[in-house]
Amino acid sequence: MAHLTHKVAAEREVVLSLRNISKHFGAVQALTDIELDIHAGEVVALVGDNGAGKSTLVKILAGVHQPSSGTITFEGRPVTLDGPSAALKLGIATVFQDLALCENLDVVANIYLGQELSPLALDEVSMEIRAWTLLRELAARIPSVREPIASLSGGQRQTVAIARSLLLDPKVILLDEPTAALGVAQTAEVLNLIERLRDRDHGVVMISHNMEDVRAVADRIVVLRLGRNNGIFYPEASNQELVSAITGASDNAVSRRASRLASEENQPIPGGQP
Amino acid sequence: MTVDTKSPASSAGPIDRADERLKDESGVSGSIRAFIDRVRSGDLGSLPVIIGLIVISVIFQFINPIFLSANNLVNLLFDCSTIGVISLGIVCVLMLGEIDLSVGSVSGLASALLGVLWVNSGWPLLGAIAMALVAGALIGSIYAFLYNRFGMPSFVSTLAGLLAVLGLQLYLLGSTGSINLPYDSALVSFGQTLVMPDWLSYLLVAAVGIAIFVTRIRTSVRRRGAGLSSSSTGAAVLQAVVITALLALVVIYLNQSRGVPWMFGLFVGLVVLMNYAFTRTQWGRAMTAVGGNREAARRAGINVKRIYASAFVLCATLAAAGGLLAAARLAASSQQAGTGDVNLNAIAAAVIGGTSLFGGRGSAYSALLGIIVIQAIASGLTLLDLSSSLRYMITGGVLAIAVIVDSLARRSRLSHGRA
Repeated sequence: MAHLTHKVAAEREVVLSLRNISKHFGAVQALTDIELDIHAGEVVALVGDNGAGKSTLVKILAGVHQPSSGTITFEGRPVTLDGPSAALKLGIATVFQDLALCENLDVVANIYLGQELSPLALDEVSMEIRAWTLLRELAARIPSVREPIASLSGGQRQTVAIARSLLLDPKVILLDEPTAALGVAQTAEVLNLIERLRDRDHGVVMISHNMEDVRAVADRIVVLRLGRNNGIFYPEASNQELVSAITGASDNAVSRRASRLASEENQPIPGGQP
Repeated sequence: MTVDTKSPASSAGPIDRADERLKDESGVSGSIRAFIDRVRSGDLGSLPVIIGLIVISVIFQFINPIFLSANNLVNLLFDCSTIGVISLGIVCVLMLGEIDLSVGSVSGLASALLGVLWVNSGWPLLGAIAMALVAGALIGSIYAFLYNRFGMPSFVSTLAGLLAVLGLQLYLLGSTGSINLPYDSALVSFGQTLVMPDWLSYLLVAAVGIAIFVTRIRTSVRRRGAGLSSSSTGAAVLQAVVITALLALVVIYLNQSRGVPWMFGLFVGLVVLMNYAFTRTQWGRAMTAVGGNREAARRAGINVKRIYASAFVLCATLAAAGGLLAAARLAASSQQAGTGDVNLNAIAAAVIGGTSLFGGRGSAYSALLGIIVIQAIASGLTLLDLSSSLRYMITGGVLAIAVIVDSLARRSRLSHGRA
């Protein structure tokens, strides 16, 4: 199903487009000339090794970091994302890898942080109901939304962070390792959610190290390596192709391990388990 | 074999009570159980202060029976109001994990401005008061600028401010040294004698009780209508009755003497207003968020710099207001105004009252409770005719205990997952 939609997606409107985005932190060139297009109703998976620049790219799109050079176009207009609120206003919501939740506030306050209803007399009841609705969409197992975030487990926190990103019904949603800490059911719900978002014509960018999840939902797989574009793949690409793009060579730690395991299988070790 | 589907239709109860792991904490007994649980996990709230206040009262009353006399308590409330207002500003900056060490100097500057403009230059009283408050706001915005623009730690910028503003105060008072405020003016009688009529104080107590009851019932009705759990009517009635009864007892007792000072009324009014701002407005939510996790607040789209600026400006403005009240209380603008222990008492009051030094936790009521503790100690020791040396040592000890309680409670909260 995924490989059918990507051909359609190519003709869809480009929501967000990056041209020649570079970012350096002091002497370190974290990103160099990144090009990326995100269409409405498309799931783009961003993959790469540790330190490939995935999270930096997401932070630039979220307005947390400003690019050193390059242009960002949103719905055809060039934009500058000079802060997180600018990105939120355009309709770019983000689930950060470190979640960025306030541990001293409760779940409802975190979901609505910065977007509270009726600022001069907070409407706690409406906010709580909407919070429950969002959490239920994610099959969250959170006992009470009036407990501070500090009392929640890692997976519960991740669900809260995802629920928060859905609050404003964004046009583009960026998920930095959304399933890293989630249980089996919650991972499935997040993948379902990603598909629902795509069907509602949202653009989704997902960072993940889990190739199974990536193949399950992605329409396009964009590989970054050492801060540069290193190819665009489709879900039908073989694991071998993806891994070599991610690691940068056909001879790498992953392929060596695979061939070692294959050769061990052919020569059973004496005294090994039957 | 049944499967737990967790569908909303299958659970008949309120939607926020659907999880089977939740303990039932509805009704009056449930509320009490929840309170005990909270305290045990380190979420102490105002409990240590109230216990401390009872201990202090018992000790001083035992040594000197005048301590709890109505007349002494009225004096105590007059004295509380001046530094209490300053302390309320300190709560704002402590919420962000910052500090303002110059509140004493700013209050002194405000009183000096009042004397110079009103008495010496013949400005109208309200004009002089407005000018003093503007001066406070201006000083606060300088701290905010230094913090937001240069990342200067508030500890250092306000320490510099402490000296600079004190210098400005001395310069303004100059050759005269001290300016007496007209004794028959409205301001001085506000600071020294003006009390509420008895009927008004009772009316206010009744209004508080009704307000608590009505808001709790209204929230319950709304929550029930929306399918959420709600507290029982019994708990609402109990809370309203207990608070009203306690307040009524205090007011009846104070009315045996002169009555409730208007200045204290102003202070409590500011505390209630600030509490509303902290708990029921977007600004208050942002303050708590920035104090808890600055980067998370920024990524949520909160204008963090503006929040810092609002806290510094509010703190310095309230410090100026406290300085004006202190001038009214003393009927003078002197070089000593705002020096000595004013600074530390204001900060200590906020901390003793339960506002965390680590940011992100605090309440407007901590200024009220904390300053009552400090003034109770001061008043008790004055009655015993003990010198200020002992007063400093004891207040220092109480502050140390308060910080230890804060740190221990914080550790316990961390281990109980309550940030």
